Amino acid sequence: MTISAIKTFRRAAALRRCRGGRLPEAVCGYVRAFSGSQRLRRSLQDTRFVVFDTETTGFSPAKDSVISIGAVAVDSGAINVGDSYEVLIRRDDIGDREVVTIHGLLRKDLSQGVDEKAAIEGFLGYIGDSVLVAQHAGFDIMMMNAMLKRRYGLELFNEVIDTASLAKRLEKGPYYNLAHKSGEYRLDHLLERYGIRLYDRHTSAGDALLTARLFQILLANARQAGIAELKDLLLK
Amino acid sequence: MPSNTIVERVAADLLKYPPFDRLDQAALLDLAASVSLAYHEEGEILFRKSDAQKEHAFMVMKGAVRLFDTIDGKEVLVDLCDEGDVFGVRAIFSRHDYVLTAQVAEESLLFEIPADKIRRLLETDPAVALFFAGAFARSFEEIEHTLSRALDADSQSGKEPSYRHFLENETLEVKPVTSVVTCPPDISIQEAASIMSEHNIGSIIVVSPENHPLGIITDTDLRKKVVARPGSIKEKPVSEIMSSPVYTITGGKTIADMVMLMVKTKLRHFCITADGSFDSPVEGIISEHDIITSEGNNPAVIMKAIMQADSPNQLKEQRDKAESLLQVYISQEVALHFISNIITEINDAIITRAIDFSIREIAEESGRERPTTEFCWLSLGSEGRKEQLLRTDQDNAILYREPPPGEEDAVHSYYLALGEKVTGILQHCGFVKCPADIMASNPVWCQPFSVWKGYFSKWIATPEPKAVMNSTIFFDFRPVYGQAKIAAELKQEIFGLVSKNRGFLEFFAKNALQNPPPLGFFRNFLVEKSRDHANEFDIKARAMMPLSDAARVLSYELKIPEYLSTSERFRKLATIMPGMKDLAPEAAAGYEFLMRLRAVNGLENGSSGRYIKPESLNKIQRQTLRNVFSTIEKVQKTLNLRFQLDYIRD
Repeated sequence: MTISAIKTFRRAAALRRCRGGRLPEAVCGYVRAFSGSQRLRRSLQDTRFVVFDTETTGFSPAKDSVISIGAVAVDSGAINVGDSYEVLIRRDDIGDREVVTIHGLLRKDLSQGVDEKAAIEGFLGYIGDSVLVAQHAGFDIMMMNAMLKRRYGLELFNEVIDTASLAKRLEKGPYYNLAHKSGEYRLDHLLERYGIRLYDRHTSAGDALLTARLFQILLANARQAGIAELKDLLLK
Repeated sequence: MPSNTIVERVAADLLKYPPFDRLDQAALLDLAASVSLAYHEEGEILFRKSDAQKEHAFMVMKGAVRLFDTIDGKEVLVDLCDEGDVFGVRAIFSRHDYVLTAQVAEESLLFEIPADKIRRLLETDPAVALFFAGAFARSFEEIEHTLSRALDADSQSGKEPSYRHFLENETLEVKPVTSVVTCPPDISIQEAASIMSEHNIGSIIVVSPENHPLGIITDTDLRKKVVARPGSIKEKPVSEIMSSPVYTITGGKTIADMVMLMVKTKLRHFCITADGSFDSPVEGIISEHDIITSEGNNPAVIMKAIMQADSPNQLKEQRDKAESLLQVYISQEVALHFISNIITEINDAIITRAIDFSIREIAEESGRERPTTEFCWLSLGSEGRKEQLLRTDQDNAILYREPPPGEEDAVHSYYLALGEKVTGILQHCGFVKCPADIMASNPVWCQPFSVWKGYFSKWIATPEPKAVMNSTIFFDFRPVYGQAKIAAELKQEIFGLVSKNRGFLEFFAKNALQNPPPLGFFRNFLVEKSRDHANEFDIKARAMMPLSDAARVLSYELKIPEYLSTSERFRKLATIMPGMKDLAPEAAAGYEFLMRLRAVNGLENGSSGRYIKPESLNKIQRQTLRNVFSTIEKVQKTLNLRFQLDYIRD
């Protein structure tokens, strides 16, 4: 079964649960947004991208959880500051101390966050069927999916673009093997290479904005390289 | 609700530039939340003349956009917008179509600000309204001015004024006297004197049979060594009274070279030989007179007066003269390293004389003589780097050897008294006191070797950002009077400390990156916000310090023992750092340009020259500044890489 077939199948299952009233309305709104077969034929100009970043308590999808999400939309190639999202997730099960030691720099009072349910529903409502973009997206998507799965038995349906891979593809072609020097595609290095000045890199929203600036340039480069439609960008 | 972090981040960017710096917090955040960030590549057209207005204005956050008109099919550049410039507002204001075309000149990040937000700000915020009104009035004038100039230039093309190159100014060559009158060493003084009066010349060169110079006899020699002496020695051979050896040089020296040589050697005659040594035939002679007559203003005269001064008042008088000399040099676009050498020599001479006076005064007033414990007067900061063209703050210190046991207090109190007197005289000469009190008159900075070593050891072993920032001027010390050897020993100690504490260099380097230069810079400057210098550009902090800091770090890393200026440091680095071969000379030239700009500004305004009004710069100066900024950026990148500063957290 292809990935899109799995997605279609999973989506049908989710819709069934919605009809049975077994999923909250906010989540069902998200599931229903993915309709229409022409979605991938959109031009890049007409696509809403949501660039996001997460902060987590660690690197294990089984044991660790997402503690903050920051996101900003890129529409018609422009970063829309007003169309942004930021949430801190309250974690009653972990003490502040633990998080502080894991992150070193993170000194937020997590008791000020919202609960996980509100955070997820807010995020799903915000992203809708937009294309998700993140630096090393695999990890953020994995952590988000682990959280969604635990709570709703769901995974994200959105198309995903990884800025590191996109940069690599535009710079070196799609088949370049960079396993031995992945450092070149770390966010810091990419930002420097594309002339984006770094500022505080301690919050997910801050990183989301920086990643959006990077993505914006990559998008322009992609257009130059003849990539006009979403399906080409996604290599579909 | 939008992300607070992101809105605040964008607000912080807006706040950097007028008129948004005038908004209150709430209005600013509201505006920031409405902004879009658009990226454009070079060459893109944002809008064309007579296009209908867009629903937003633009502000350049990075990059540059050119606005041009098209007249008879020809593009006429009206404005080049870069960081902080707002454009496309007029259309919103007047609700008309665009009157100019906007094209991206270099890849840009633009803030798109919704038109209705701007309209509302104009209605509710008088400060913003005033800003835009002013900008319009100005830009209309500018457009007219630019257009008429462009048309003028067009009609008389090829008649562009040529600008003299500011960095490699060719000063005139001094013409030596080539019909040199010489004599053998064995003729009598009498004969030599008669040859001189016969030819009506002030000097004669004594030569060997191969025509190699052996010595020189001048008017002064005759006066002092012959006439003034009792008894007749006229019959003795000239070799008895000639000055020997003669200072020999090769031909082709410029006025600048010669003046420098005269100031340095305090000699008045220079003999030109075939290969510049005294083992080759005489070809010509250059005397003080030749140099003075080829140059109206003469630093040697000032120098002489300083050396002969017998009161602080005379020193002040000469320093004032030096300033008018500086003005002449600056206006004649004399090479900057030459100017700064001359001025440093003069400043050093003033310090030297001030110390002589002070030692004498202390002896007269209290009968105290200078202790046998040797000392060294140190100039610090820009003065230490030989870069003090204009009289700015004094930064100096006294370093002395360990006093014999039991005499510590007496020695300290003597040198402190000396420090007080000297700094007082320097203040009288127009060098104001250091606001941070880093002067030899401060007991903390008038100390024996062991204490100085302790200071540097503390700065180096336990660096913290603020301490590093405050201690940089000490790392530029240069001995001016007394035992230079003590200073040289201190420098070696510092090199030892630095190699044991690599972490210090990283801090030092990080400090050099404190002030990133504004990347774009054309019409609107990145100007200061403080009340005293609002809307002025701080050339010292934003352009000069990043370079001088970088040069200092690298000089200490590579253990360069000489006391060099920033541009000398870069030129030296170019020869020993393969990676800096091209960049370092560029940085040296850039630094000299900045020094000149600062001096011009200071002379015009009777100030330290540090704060520059952007509108006072001409187009060439602006363009050069722009290039210098990109050099600074490259230098900072090099430091960043070399010291791996990305890995150091604040």
